[in-house]
Amino acid sequence: MSNSRVLSPFRRIFAFTLSIALLIAGLASAAPSTAAAQGTNLTTGCVKGYRPSVDYFPQKVSLEDATGFKVEYFKNYKVVTVLNPWNNAKEQFKYVIVQCGTPAPRNIKDALVIEAPAKRIIAMSTTHLPHLEKLGLLDRLIGMDEFTYVNSPKVREMIKAGKLIEIGSGPKVNVEKTIVARPDFVMTYGVGDPQFDSHPKLLEAKIPTVINAEYMEGTPLGRSEWIKFTALFFNAEAAAQREYNLMKQRYLAVARKTSGIANRPLVVVGTASRGRWRMPGGASYFATLVRDAGGNYLMAANPSAGSVQISLEEALDRGINADVWLLNAFQRYQNIGALLAEEPRYERLGPVSKRNVWNYDKRLNENGGNDYWETGVGNPHLILADLAKIFHPNLMTDHELVFFRKIDR
Amino acid sequence: MRASLPRVGQAESHLANPFPPLGIRRGALLLLAGLALTAFALSLALGPVSIPLDEVLRILLGEQASRETWEIIVVSVRLPKAITALLAGAALSVAGLQMQTLFRNPLADPFVLGVSSGASLGVALVVLGGASVSVSVFGRSALLGDFGLASASTLGAASIFLLILAIARRVQNVVTLLVLGLMVGYLTSAVVSLLIYFSLPEQVAAYVNWTFGSFGGVTWGQMQAFAPALVLGLLIALASVKPLNALLLGEGYAKSMGVDVRAARWWITASASLLAGAVTAFCGPIGFLGIAVPHLCRALFGTSDHRVLMPAVILLGGTLAILFDFISQMPGARFVLPLNVITSFIGAPVVLWVVLRRQSFARV
Repeated sequence: MSNSRVLSPFRRIFAFTLSIALLIAGLASAAPSTAAAQGTNLTTGCVKGYRPSVDYFPQKVSLEDATGFKVEYFKNYKVVTVLNPWNNAKEQFKYVIVQCGTPAPRNIKDALVIEAPAKRIIAMSTTHLPHLEKLGLLDRLIGMDEFTYVNSPKVREMIKAGKLIEIGSGPKVNVEKTIVARPDFVMTYGVGDPQFDSHPKLLEAKIPTVINAEYMEGTPLGRSEWIKFTALFFNAEAAAQREYNLMKQRYLAVARKTSGIANRPLVVVGTASRGRWRMPGGASYFATLVRDAGGNYLMAANPSAGSVQISLEEALDRGINADVWLLNAFQRYQNIGALLAEEPRYERLGPVSKRNVWNYDKRLNENGGNDYWETGVGNPHLILADLAKIFHPNLMTDHELVFFRKIDR
Repeated sequence: MRASLPRVGQAESHLANPFPPLGIRRGALLLLAGLALTAFALSLALGPVSIPLDEVLRILLGEQASRETWEIIVVSVRLPKAITALLAGAALSVAGLQMQTLFRNPLADPFVLGVSSGASLGVALVVLGGASVSVSVFGRSALLGDFGLASASTLGAASIFLLILAIARRVQNVVTLLVLGLMVGYLTSAVVSLLIYFSLPEQVAAYVNWTFGSFGGVTWGQMQAFAPALVLGLLIALASVKPLNALLLGEGYAKSMGVDVRAARWWITASASLLAGAVTAFCGPIGFLGIAVPHLCRALFGTSDHRVLMPAVILLGGTLAILFDFISQMPGARFVLPLNVITSFIGAPVVLWVVLRRQSFARV
């Protein structure tokens, strides 16, 4: 334009149209700054032209089942608190998630500030992967603690393509490698034991590290609602809300099928070791699943939310009338014979003579990584449907087992 | 010096014989035996599941119980557990007594020779090492179980046992043995730490569970190896009473009494390692009993005479083991506690009390 000396009327009209077009294009490219006002969160890029009066998070999450974290929304930042990071924790973790392109609040003391939407994340547990996958954010994943256990085909492809780094975990976490990778944040979990936890070392090195405490939730739905927690860091509230609702609907649909059933099989869970039997407590995640799937859990009356050890004689005394046995064992038993070779006293358990023994090892990768702990955690409706089918085969004819495998004779 | 001291058997005078006839202690031993029997019977009759006493008797007499589970519980849970506890308690206490006398050290325990470290190494190699040598999950499955643990720890304990025996044949003094045991302990714990460092949480949990100790893991099948090993070890120990008494007064004195010190040392080492190794292999490393029961018996009987102490530690060791196991799974309790927690919590204060009350330890 500028190099045309004389502008004919046609050219003038053309130039005018062009400049209008450019103006519109310019406005469109600047759209992120105004999108918030139009009702959606900014899931990529940063805000240009920050205005304090704008609510940058018009899409918010509301929590229904999770009790382990809470989130407070402000105009350009949100404060998320992990209330119950591990068993008997004395501390809570507070994260200030600030809309990228807007100023961080001042009065936050020592809380960790992370800019959203995050672009680079390292996940320290396979249970975090389904969140990213469902939210369509796998491309933001740049690393993991270790690859051994990964089941997700997409993530395994990324590993094969060399797109991810492996940083290790616990006290041997590779801090230098992590710093070089420049993650916006690392998502990990804690158990409150410095011998085992990774976050103390990472935080010491000023790497933004976020505790995900989904495993502390006592219900399957509560656990999977942590997808909303992950979403907060990517402004992906809308997708999280949608995915969670879908998952919950499916879960409740299965639970509804079994809720009216009076004939509930007696279910024994876990294995014995050295004369003691470890079972999930009656208020635990797994006890909830058994109940919702229409089973009568042996330890239902126990008040513990963790796991409890009972004596072998008590387990045998009560287990002799059991109908179903869910091993939930790390090791993979080829058949019932292998199980009996290890503990001959299993023989008198009801489910052994009824040949109704199951383990959740149907989907193991070649390293023993169990998809139950990956896909299962984010999709409790699949575990529930498996259990419902095991307990009531006639009820769930159209469901094919995902995680559970029957132990052969 | 040598000529002036009488040989055992020749000396009839109480003045010359440091170990007078047993006298009243026979009655006390009988009382202990009664206690052991009572504890054994109690552990069959009482447990987390309440079973009527007449039913227990009927089951033990081989008759039909009115509930099938009761029969299983008494025959395949309580009976093997009670026998295991009795034997293991006796074995650890005897091994402790032998080691305290052999090393003339009140702090010596059954594990001072390193056999339990050997057992831990065996278990650690199987449980934790599985991943390092990348055995597939399928191969690892059988090894993580109780039977695999017992085999692994037996192998570990046995190899250290053989090593110690080989060295004990040549070694000139006991301090060398003591140092050897200590070094074996350090070496194995280093390897175990290394393995833990590179292991998966599930494997570490299986290993830690083993270290808690338990009498409940021995099944009738395993009992066929466990019981004969311990009975053999106890018999050797009973036969070593005289040399032990002689060693109490120093190796020079023992030699002067006609004791073949080197042979005695070898047999004592052999039986103590066998006893401690077999118990650790099948029950895990069980603390406290081995070091404390000899002290308790010395205090109770007021003597260091092994003719009294040997049967006494067998009886008291067995009784306490049954008792501790009973406490770890009290009737009516909603959960069970690790055995080693109980032995230390209850055991250590008792020993402290005894020590402070009678400072007889200098006499060991």
